[in-house]
Amino acid sequence: MNTIVVGQLQRQFQDYIVSLYQQGYLDNQFTELRKLQDEGSPDFVAEVVSLFFDDCAKLINDMSTSLERPDHVDFKQVDSGVHQLKGSSSSVGARRVKSVCIAFKECCDVQNREGCLRCLQQVDYEYKMLKTKLQDLFNLEQQILQAGGTIPQVSMN
Amino acid sequence: MTMTIEQEIEVLDQFPVGMRVLAVDDDQTCLRILQTLLHRCQYHVTTTNQAQTALELLRENKNKFDLVISDVDMPDMDGFKLLELVGLEMDLPVIMLSAHSDPKYVMKGVKHGACDYLLKPVRIEELKNIWQHVVRKSKLKKNKSSVSNGPGNSDKANNNRKRKEQYEEEEEEERGNENDDPTAQKKPRVLWTHELHNKFLAAVDHLGVEKAVPKKILDLMNVDKLTRENVASHLQKFRVALKKVSDEANQQANRVAIDSHLMQMTSHKGLGGFYHHRAIPVGSGQFHGGATMMRHFPSNRNLGRVNSLAGGMFQSSFPRNHNDGGNILQGLPLPPLEELQINKAFQSFDSQQNSLMVAPNNLLLLDGHPQSSSPSLNPGFSPHFETSNNKQRLEHWSNTVLSTNMPQSNVHSKPDSLEWTAFCDSATPLINPNMDTSSTSFCRNTDFGSSNAAQTDFFHPLQMNQQHANNWGPMPTEAQVFRNCDPKEGLHMASDAGSLDDIVNSLMTQEQSPTDFSEGGWVMV
Repeated sequence: MNTIVVGQLQRQFQDYIVSLYQQGYLDNQFTELRKLQDEGSPDFVAEVVSLFFDDCAKLINDMSTSLERPDHVDFKQVDSGVHQLKGSSSSVGARRVKSVCIAFKECCDVQNREGCLRCLQQVDYEYKMLKTKLQDLFNLEQQILQAGGTIPQVSMN
Repeated sequence: MTMTIEQEIEVLDQFPVGMRVLAVDDDQTCLRILQTLLHRCQYHVTTTNQAQTALELLRENKNKFDLVISDVDMPDMDGFKLLELVGLEMDLPVIMLSAHSDPKYVMKGVKHGACDYLLKPVRIEELKNIWQHVVRKSKLKKNKSSVSNGPGNSDKANNNRKRKEQYEEEEEEERGNENDDPTAQKKPRVLWTHELHNKFLAAVDHLGVEKAVPKKILDLMNVDKLTRENVASHLQKFRVALKKVSDEANQQANRVAIDSHLMQMTSHKGLGGFYHHRAIPVGSGQFHGGATMMRHFPSNRNLGRVNSLAGGMFQSSFPRNHNDGGNILQGLPLPPLEELQINKAFQSFDSQQNSLMVAPNNLLLLDGHPQSSSPSLNPGFSPHFETSNNKQRLEHWSNTVLSTNMPQSNVHSKPDSLEWTAFCDSATPLINPNMDTSSTSFCRNTDFGSSNAAQTDFFHPLQMNQQHANNWGPMPTEAQVFRNCDPKEGLHMASDAGSLDDIVNSLMTQEQSPTDFSEGGWVMV
């Protein structure tokens, strides 16, 4: 094991994950999820976020359909979709996504189609952005492990 | 004999390790997380993303699970419906999960029989304690069956035995219980389901509300294992709620009556100013978490209110001095003030006669509730009207008083004694003996009828909890919410969850704005 390389990777990992918190991509809930990961479930976080991104894609798609025709918007469906998205994003710690959901809900409540469409676009952007970031993070993790090192636990206080 | 909780736990040995949980959530992300969290707590977990499947699993074998955790919003079946069915068919404890922090939902959960209501994202700490619901439930079942099978099953014997058990339960649970849930501490609960309540209503209806006495109601209802005492307490609440409903109905008429009444009383034109202080929108900034509402009473401002009103209105009628502080307020109905604040208010009364500005905040607080009646009353005489509890109480209370057209000097003497008593007696007794003149006694219920005394007991403990708990922060969600919202609901929780559905429902729909009003002030996570 090349300790220098491992050390570098670990630092890189640490800096990266901290930056994600600082930029608001992630919040404390993500930390909690990481805590649940252990030898028994080593890929727990990756699994969960993967499920989350699948959910996002599906929900966004459904909502997009509901919002498509200006004269015939199913706000109820949209509301239900936003609600679910809010729930799951808060459960994984996807802070930015959750924030958009809050604004999204407000547009939905007042039946503002334009607003909803904007939010929809934004939530799509945010989840994809997060997906890329987390992908990078997991890659770093893999590199560390392959170099024989351990993944640092990062606490954000 | 009933086992103590400790004994029971020992017997169950491994418990709560291996407790069998059924987790239901249509959101796969959340379900996966929940599953892992539950595993981490060493429970045995079964998951499904469909409510229908969950029901089938449960029906297949009732004894296969100890506890159910379910999300509220599911496409194939309303989580509340599932909750109700599980409660009725299997009598298993059910915990609700939701991203909705809206108290309406929490209320709904409780009314449908939920043991607890957790907000997403769920934390592992919250799940670590859910096993208590299983223990509690089984203890309840044990109590219910032992009570009704006992020899010489007279009501009195029952009551005595139950009280003894209550006391024991209380002791044990206070010792062992981390959770401040008030439902843990009272007598074995009868779950007032829709069905049961309807029977109750039918019986009351048949007898006539005035003539409905617990014994007769019980007989008419003809429900196994239901005791006269259960019915009595349910009836109490029913009557209270009824009263409130009818009070609200009278509100509009009273407003006019109050105004004219006041005009008569004071014959002072200064009164005019107060009518203008109406519904000032409540800023959420006002309420710095629930803590502020409950604890932080800016006495100066309140005082100012009292003073200026007193100055404006009572110059001719009442002396304004320290000792007669009580009298000043005597002329108008006095809301249930926390005694501490009354004390403060009156002590500085002398020194702050005319100069105080009334912060709009006060009125703000008072009139946030669009249903607030009697603008002339509320602004002036409810300085501590910062919680929605108080607010509603005042309105109902003042309505009650004024609608009975009390003579001037006795206007205060027949308030809604429930609130009165509750607030007075439960808060720390800080009445300054100096100011407590005999006729005033707004904190000693000397004027109250005997019927009120009975009700005192009922409300008292809750008020104790409500005001003394002072935990607006890390309190269990369920209890916290109930203290926060409509006092009736809070009272509900204290004794029988799920009771008074119909009446409370109507009340809830009528009083929409408290939830709006209190949004800003609630620390709901």
